[in-house]
Amino acid sequence: MDIRAQVSMVFHLDKCIGCHTCSVACKNVWTDRPGAEYMWWNNVETKPGTGFPHRWEDQDRYQGGWKLRNGKQLELKSQSKLGGLLKLFYNPNQPGLEDYYEPWTYEYENLFDAPEGDDQPTAIPISQITGEELKIERGPNWDDDLSGSPKYAANDVNYDALSEEERQQLFEIQRVAFMYLPRICNHCANPSCVASCPSGALYKRGEDGIVLINQDVCRGWRACVSACPYKKIYYNWVTGKSEKCILCYPRLETGQAPACFHSCVGRIRYLGVLLYDADRITSAMSTADPLLVEAQRDIICDPNDENVIASAKANGISDEFLEAARKSPVYKYVVKWKLALPLHIEYRTMPMLFYVPPLLPVMGKDGDQPYDHAEESFFSSLDKSRLSIQYMARMFSAGNESVVTSSLRKLMAVRYYKRMQQVGDLQEDKVKRILREAGTTPEEAEEIYLLTAVPTVHKRYVLPPIQREEAIGTSCDVQDCKGSCGFGSRSEAK
Amino acid sequence: MLELFAFVGLPYMAILICIVGVVWRLRKDPYGVTSLSSQFLEGKQLRWGSLPWHFGILLIFAGHLVAFLIPGMWQSLMSVPWLLVSVEVLGIAATLLCLIGLGVLFFRRLTTGKLQKTTKLADFVVTSLLIAQVALGLMVAGGYRWGASWSTGTLTPYVWSLVTLSPDVSVVRDMPLPIQLHMTGAWLILLILPFTRLIHMVSVPIHYLFRSPQKVVWSNPRRHEQAVTARVTQESRRHFLKAAFGLGTAGVLLSVGVLDKLGRFFQMPGMHKDEEANLLETRLRRLQLTAEEKELELERMRAEEIFVARLSELNGQAGKYFIDYAMRPGLAFKGEDGWPMLLSAKCTHLGCTVGNQVDASGRILCPCHVSYFDIKTGMPNPGAPAKAPLDKIAWVVRDQNGSEVATESARGSRTGRIDVAIADTCSLYIVKSLTLEA
Repeated sequence: MDIRAQVSMVFHLDKCIGCHTCSVACKNVWTDRPGAEYMWWNNVETKPGTGFPHRWEDQDRYQGGWKLRNGKQLELKSQSKLGGLLKLFYNPNQPGLEDYYEPWTYEYENLFDAPEGDDQPTAIPISQITGEELKIERGPNWDDDLSGSPKYAANDVNYDALSEEERQQLFEIQRVAFMYLPRICNHCANPSCVASCPSGALYKRGEDGIVLINQDVCRGWRACVSACPYKKIYYNWVTGKSEKCILCYPRLETGQAPACFHSCVGRIRYLGVLLYDADRITSAMSTADPLLVEAQRDIICDPNDENVIASAKANGISDEFLEAARKSPVYKYVVKWKLALPLHIEYRTMPMLFYVPPLLPVMGKDGDQPYDHAEESFFSSLDKSRLSIQYMARMFSAGNESVVTSSLRKLMAVRYYKRMQQVGDLQEDKVKRILREAGTTPEEAEEIYLLTAVPTVHKRYVLPPIQREEAIGTSCDVQDCKGSCGFGSRSEAK
Repeated sequence: MLELFAFVGLPYMAILICIVGVVWRLRKDPYGVTSLSSQFLEGKQLRWGSLPWHFGILLIFAGHLVAFLIPGMWQSLMSVPWLLVSVEVLGIAATLLCLIGLGVLFFRRLTTGKLQKTTKLADFVVTSLLIAQVALGLMVAGGYRWGASWSTGTLTPYVWSLVTLSPDVSVVRDMPLPIQLHMTGAWLILLILPFTRLIHMVSVPIHYLFRSPQKVVWSNPRRHEQAVTARVTQESRRHFLKAAFGLGTAGVLLSVGVLDKLGRFFQMPGMHKDEEANLLETRLRRLQLTAEEKELELERMRAEEIFVARLSELNGQAGKYFIDYAMRPGLAFKGEDGWPMLLSAKCTHLGCTVGNQVDASGRILCPCHVSYFDIKTGMPNPGAPAKAPLDKIAWVVRDQNGSEVATESARGSRTGRIDVAIADTCSLYIVKSLTLEA
């Protein structure tokens, strides 16, 4: 047993209002630099939709993540070792600027400097790359709220599992539904970006699991950009180095939640420690697709187990970290309640960011009533859901519908339970039956309700002290670097 | 002069600047070292530029390397006609690939708007230099037949002469101009390598083939300990290597010395007659001294008494030196009462021979570390480096007939009487029995 700790995340999608505040917070803190204008370390996508970059889930095109050779051996989808060297000169799987968008600003100066004339001066859009006038054709969230559905939503990669008839149904105006999917780096436990880096610049921090790129070692070979199945590594065309979400580690190290968490309006984000057994990563990620979610849950360890604690301590994980792991809201959502699911676990990178699937767009339509309260079919609306379970399963459980269904059922049961308490139009014995069928209890339902609906900031973000003062500098000596921390361009690229 | 600069000065300068420059850049500015790929901004043309260029130049480079590293074997291979022709054809094909690739890359830089933002003057300098170099190479291959074959006999010895620090320009001096220019171009490329995007050549990630897929970096205290241990192990290994290197060097130097001596021994170098005579004289003198010493020793082993001086020769101002039974120096004085005083002259501090001149307060001086000894008692002055007194030495005085007149033991007990009248005729001896008694 080799216990590692991971600062991991849960995004509760039912609470996301799609305001992009997280994206803007991140942009202002980290990617407002030359060469990084097009990067969105945090972005919010509308699903169904093609996402950012365009159709990032299409691994036939980008070759991200891992594949199983002979159904057993994990290997990178994007490259073999030798092939990785041959792809230095030209990487056919790397997304280009056209797959993202050409970043732009507006020529605000013209509003002040324009010569006097008959017309009102305007601020025309100009490219942030060339500085020339730009006809804007695409942006990072061009498909927001299903805009441009025929081009974007209709091309959602996750529709591949649906029949043509089912697809058509999704676009019936009466049952159109969508959800938001905020995405940051998943800080995977089996990261394909780290495995693909020819220079060895990418690494995972042992004590908190943050995946980082050492900018001094990166040589800009861009293998990570195509190897990351979530396309959360971006190439900076000015510095010639790749960059990614750093989970705001300079903020974490001073006890603050990352900028996107801190600014989240819907309070959808939870941050907490998970302990997992690093020895079993490879075997867990080598199981068959439908079992992957369960395999991942299985190697996440109980922070109260004495063997786990002993092994964690042997690995130098501090008591404060273990204490945080016991209080972790993420552990509750992922393992205890089995509500939160990883995004696209079939890429086999073992993402450590989990999503509570949204119930609202799923709720079916029953006559004139949006909710089905028919006595004998509490959960029947799931079968008649607007966003099909198949679609959700494709995103959150590698196609295993029962995993998604059981999570949604439990969410639904909690609502019935609270409805009974607060509205009082449901009978207690029926609600108890609902809870039983959803595999939960009134106590658990109450707990789920409390952490979902009315948690304080300290319940949502259980931040362990990272003990930076005890850590050896991973990039430079702490004394030498005092007064400066975090990420930035220290010198001009040559 | 120009010739010397082009074929000796420039190569060494280029190699030196390249090595120093690369090390400097990697240490000083690792953040600036990158391949600076522009595939992100423009990928379609890059495919047709970068791929042909890199594969072409790698093949060409491998060819050059083979001719340099294994010239003999390569030459014998190239004497097979069909092999020679295939190699030449392959080389020219690769060169054409390079030219096409470079052309596309150059054109692409000039025409794509987005790329111009990341293009610097140095990029055009580098590309132009590479195009010129490849074109010259093609001229050489096409114009001077079978370069794969003749270069092993001409260029390879020249480059090896540079490597072995004994530059020999004779073979390249009379080469045709295109070949000379091609060589100069190569040195120029090496020269600018550290300062341009060519720096990416030193970052070829061969180690990727051998590393484990995942990389986890710990920075907590326990792992820190491991890291320190690892560093210490590394350091001790480095120390061991240093020490081994030092010992090895010392060993080599020693054996060089020994071999030199051996060589000279067997070489029997002839010596000049005068030198030989001097040497023999010195040896003889040394032997004589040794013989004298041995004689004295023998005398002291055999004789019961050893003559020191006639009483008349002694005085109180300057002592007379003699050698005692223990082969140590001694000093003989005459006291105010006319009796002799015999002292060891070996300083009790570090064994120097004490001076024989008596100063105003009746003391003799050891010149080595300035100890004054009283000649009556043998005691050193207070604060002197010597702490113990000089030993007294037993003596006997005999008259001219040889009969005993007076004695004094080493402890200072006296017998007999010295008559002033006959004192001048008496002789002083040291006595073995009395000395040993002490």
